[in-house]
Amino acid sequence: MAIRHYLIVLLGIFACIANAEAAETDKPKVTFDGFGSLGVSHSSMKSGDYVLDSSIPKGPGLSEDLSFGNDSRIAVHLAADLTPKISAVLQVVSEYHTPNTYEPEVEWANVKYAFTPDLYIRLGRIALPTFMHSDTRDVGYTYVWIHPPLELYRQLPISHSDGVDGMYRVQIGESVNSIKVILYGENTLERENSTSNSKDMWGIFDTIEYGPTTAHIGYQERLASTENSQGVTGPWIRNSDLSLGVQYDPGDWFAISEWIRRESTTRISAMYISGGYRVKKFTPYLTYAQNSPGTFLSGFPPPTANSIRLANRAQSAVSLGVRWDFMKNADLKLQYDQVKLSDNSNGFLANVPTGVILYGAKFHVISAVVDFVF
Amino acid sequence: MVLLLAVPMLASTAHADVVVIVSAKSHITSLTAEQTAKIFLGKASSFPDDSNALPIDQAEGSAIRDEFYSKVVHKNPSQLTAYWAKVIFTGDGRPPAILESNLNVRKAVAKNPNAIGYIDKSAVDKSVRVILAP
Repeated sequence: MAIRHYLIVLLGIFACIANAEAAETDKPKVTFDGFGSLGVSHSSMKSGDYVLDSSIPKGPGLSEDLSFGNDSRIAVHLAADLTPKISAVLQVVSEYHTPNTYEPEVEWANVKYAFTPDLYIRLGRIALPTFMHSDTRDVGYTYVWIHPPLELYRQLPISHSDGVDGMYRVQIGESVNSIKVILYGENTLERENSTSNSKDMWGIFDTIEYGPTTAHIGYQERLASTENSQGVTGPWIRNSDLSLGVQYDPGDWFAISEWIRRESTTRISAMYISGGYRVKKFTPYLTYAQNSPGTFLSGFPPPTANSIRLANRAQSAVSLGVRWDFMKNADLKLQYDQVKLSDNSNGFLANVPTGVILYGAKFHVISAVVDFVF
Repeated sequence: MVLLLAVPMLASTAHADVVVIVSAKSHITSLTAEQTAKIFLGKASSFPDDSNALPIDQAEGSAIRDEFYSKVVHKNPSQLTAYWAKVIFTGDGRPPAILESNLNVRKAVAKNPNAIGYIDKSAVDKSVRVILAP
């Protein structure tokens, strides 16, 4: 289903609700919320752009001295309770992405049937819950950092799934165990000169919460292929993402760590560890994040020079920052990242001119962001 | 000596003492802080005996609400907003309904055997039962 079909279906649902409300029948409830971030960043590495992931065409460094693209966005979220068991959501986000635009995109658009408050099934688009902060990666207000560590989070290039998913939640003593399952999903990701298609996506994500501790274990698979600008489609390759995460947050301080292993034609792993403490309205924090270069898996044709270059991309970063909850529903963050590129790659820098070797380079990025919810 | 004894007493009556209540008609006799926190964060929709739980909040910014969330849930107002933002923007629920004032909360809780709320200790009467005094 194309995006426009989702929008038509959901706008139709909301129109019915509006009609029902006007006729003053059994009133379904519609709520309107939103979130946004205004961020600016600067990088000392002038030979490439420090971008968060491959969807961002330009960033600080080579292209811009002060860049807004990495951490600025605005989103609206409509939710409707149609009946006690049926609800729908629609979330549209406007952020900077290829080719060079802030054109809004639909991130969530689904209808949910709740058998009980602890068991539901959904049809439509959901943001993928692959890693601990994946499905709220756009909502800066929900985490302390400027953005979730990119060495790990950019390893999954797709952000949503169109299909069927469900959740089952069970209380075991004082713990809560939520199991999310993607039964079937598809994704289409438009890049600058190609389209990445995913199908037969499925996944299982378990979150266990016990007091201040949250543990996450997830596994997701999909078949992905790339269609180039001439319309030629490459082979379907199985991609898998295994993730483990744990967070301890008793209130006054927190620590969180995640580790992932991703396999396609290569195997790559990434991790981060972060912690901070709260003093009045300030939360200073420290993060270490890194990814390992990809090792090629057997059973595929020999890699091209470009595939080797892409697989070799690795870097590590130490980040120091502070979040200030200066007013209700808004925060201000400042973060300093010291980045070190691996010994045989230019890391995840974009737009590096051909032939420029930045192996082993160290540089810093300074970012500031204001996040808000409404 | 008399003055020194009087000062601490004045200090304690000026301070709110939050207690968690259910209707006197409810079968629930006590809950732990953890069980109460789960209900107010929407992580549990029923009491340990499997009966429906309907949490009722007080107004944002009120001292009693801040004290409840600090003592029982271990979240300050920004942490609570960040928590609910994660829930709302993943389509997973909404925060509890809000009633302004200890009196309104007590009356609503008294009427509904599924309701659970928090009020100042001084507002408790026989229509409600205290199940947690953090």
